[in-house]
Amino acid sequence: MYTTNWLRPLGAAALTLLLAQAGAAQETLKLGISAPLSGAAATWGLGMEWAAEQAAERVNAEGGVTANGKTYMFDIVSYDNKYSATEGARNAQTMLNRDGIDFIAGTIGTAPVRAMQALTERKGVILFTTAWGKSVKGPEFPFTFTQMNTPFEILVPFYNFIKEQHPDLKTAVLISPNDATGQELEPVAVETWKSLGVEMLASDWYERGTTEFQPIATKIATLNPDLVDFSAAPPTDVGSILKELDVLGWNGVKVMSAGTSVDALTAVAGEAAEGAYLGASADFSGETATEVQKELNAGAREALGEPLNGITISSYDAIMALRAAIEEADSIDPAKVQAVLSSVRFESSYGPSGFGGEATYDYPQQLLIPVIVTRVENGKAVELTRSNPAELEALIND
Amino acid sequence: MELFVQLLANTLQIGAVYVLFALGLTLIFGVMKIVNFAHGAFFTAAALIVTSVVPFATVELGVPLWAGYLLAAIVAIVVVLCLGALVYSIGFQHVLKDLNGSFILSIGLLLILNGAYLAIYGGAPRTVPQVLPGTVSIFGAALTAQRLALVIVAAVVTGGLYLLIERTRLGLALRAVAMDQEAAMLQGMPFNRVALYGFLIGAALAACAGVLMAPINAVTPVSGDEFLIKAFIIIIIGGLGSVTGAIIGGLFIALIESMGGYFFDPSTATLAMFILVIAFLLVRPQGILGNVE
Repeated sequence: MYTTNWLRPLGAAALTLLLAQAGAAQETLKLGISAPLSGAAATWGLGMEWAAEQAAERVNAEGGVTANGKTYMFDIVSYDNKYSATEGARNAQTMLNRDGIDFIAGTIGTAPVRAMQALTERKGVILFTTAWGKSVKGPEFPFTFTQMNTPFEILVPFYNFIKEQHPDLKTAVLISPNDATGQELEPVAVETWKSLGVEMLASDWYERGTTEFQPIATKIATLNPDLVDFSAAPPTDVGSILKELDVLGWNGVKVMSAGTSVDALTAVAGEAAEGAYLGASADFSGETATEVQKELNAGAREALGEPLNGITISSYDAIMALRAAIEEADSIDPAKVQAVLSSVRFESSYGPSGFGGEATYDYPQQLLIPVIVTRVENGKAVELTRSNPAELEALIND
Repeated sequence: MELFVQLLANTLQIGAVYVLFALGLTLIFGVMKIVNFAHGAFFTAAALIVTSVVPFATVELGVPLWAGYLLAAIVAIVVVLCLGALVYSIGFQHVLKDLNGSFILSIGLLLILNGAYLAIYGGAPRTVPQVLPGTVSIFGAALTAQRLALVIVAAVVTGGLYLLIERTRLGLALRAVAMDQEAAMLQGMPFNRVALYGFLIGAALAACAGVLMAPINAVTPVSGDEFLIKAFIIIIIGGLGSVTGAIIGGLFIALIESMGGYFFDPSTATLAMFILVIAFLLVRPQGILGNVE
């Protein structure tokens, strides 16, 4: 009788403890992805989704992320933003109001990101983005963090390198998609080329979703510039224009500031893509790639049929930053995580990293990673040069 | 001179697909008096099928590329005809001459089909190797052999459709139903069957356009939707339900795209098309060759 009385509360306590532990082990933290999973820019979204899943698997396999004595497992939830502001806004509503997501680990497109910010900043939700627009950053957007290099990090070293390789460059044509990303990139690109002594013969716009590129190609071929810069155009659009330019006999310097998916580019353009300079790609299978990047890249080739690039791998880095910030803040409260994100140090896929860019954006919300210039050679992105921003150098040497 | 020949060649290249696509849309409207927002889904289905049958035929069956493409074209058109018959029988035949009903039905159908394509094929752009590689020069204008073939096939199909409409009993029935359905029925014409044939011919035309475009442009699950907006502009300008109007409208829009894209920029050309369609709706809502109702 005495034994039974003693055992019952003990058993109940043990059961409660076990259930509590089981409950703790099953805590999940949803991380949202809002990216184009269909359409011309789908290769970016699908790659970003895949890299985020790899990062989550890695974090979970290493025991999850611990905050305030609880362990959380990351769970990736993806939404197709179709590269449009309408879908971006709809995704934000779904993520925040229906699915209760407090951390968005990857978004693509300035217009959809602007649409999301109206909600994420108001509700204090952490938003990682690849958006190239300067308008999505600054002290008025403290919950927004950029997860890859943008024109303000890329264009000067990228264009300088191209000009060094082709000192005779005199004239250029800029082709930009007519949306928020293109509109914010265009003046920076024009000014940067002018500062290098390159005259801009034309700066034209096209609508995303355009199917026929012969008029653009005919105009470029008639102007016959030394260089064409395709600005923020996705690889399939650039591939279509390059194919038409090849038919018309133009063969100058090809520049893709947002150049990423080489496989998508060459699938459309074929040999016409050879020699194109890419500002946002990388050779993650080359000598300069880290072991993490090589492993991820090989996995992406197998799973998606094409390698990772600066845009797609960025969700991995965002999740690593998030893990470090949650552990530093010892909380999953987005406000507390946001407070430490700007100063947290973590291991990105590129190596040691953190956030900076206060001199450019008035707020330290730009991921610090190397600027890598690649070129299409035999259908592959081959790294030509890389440079670390001064802040990253300081962080590495710290 | 050479420049204008090139711009004219661009117009024909662009216009060929627009005409094929718009012909199907206008035929369906003319006969059934419905708007079909899912018309682009037939185009997409055909193009996607080509992207999967061509690699299968060339790699697994070991047939030459041209034979694989022909096989893919046949499979694509047959599948689209079956899909067309299915959506007609379960949906469109119940909303004949009902603009609101067909609008809601076709939007829903479009969402379902786009979702299905996305689930089956994924969102990444798919490509098919060029069946006719190389470039040809015509009076100084350069264009790929593949594009030239597209223009020729599109012209033949358009001519064939014109003959079908003007010279056959089916064409007579289609025209009669389009002009006055009740009078046609009083003459003993089976309206439902004629409407089904009209719908299937329209779907087949969209499939033809998809098959022809697959080796030229990257194909995605929403490729057809991008042509749909232009097709609506074309049939509004040409005249809803008018076959000749669709041909004129298609070439006119292609001309604006070609000239506007060259002398201004493609965004300005797109804007010009929308302004033009607004002007037509205000000044001549029946379009160039449409009938006033």
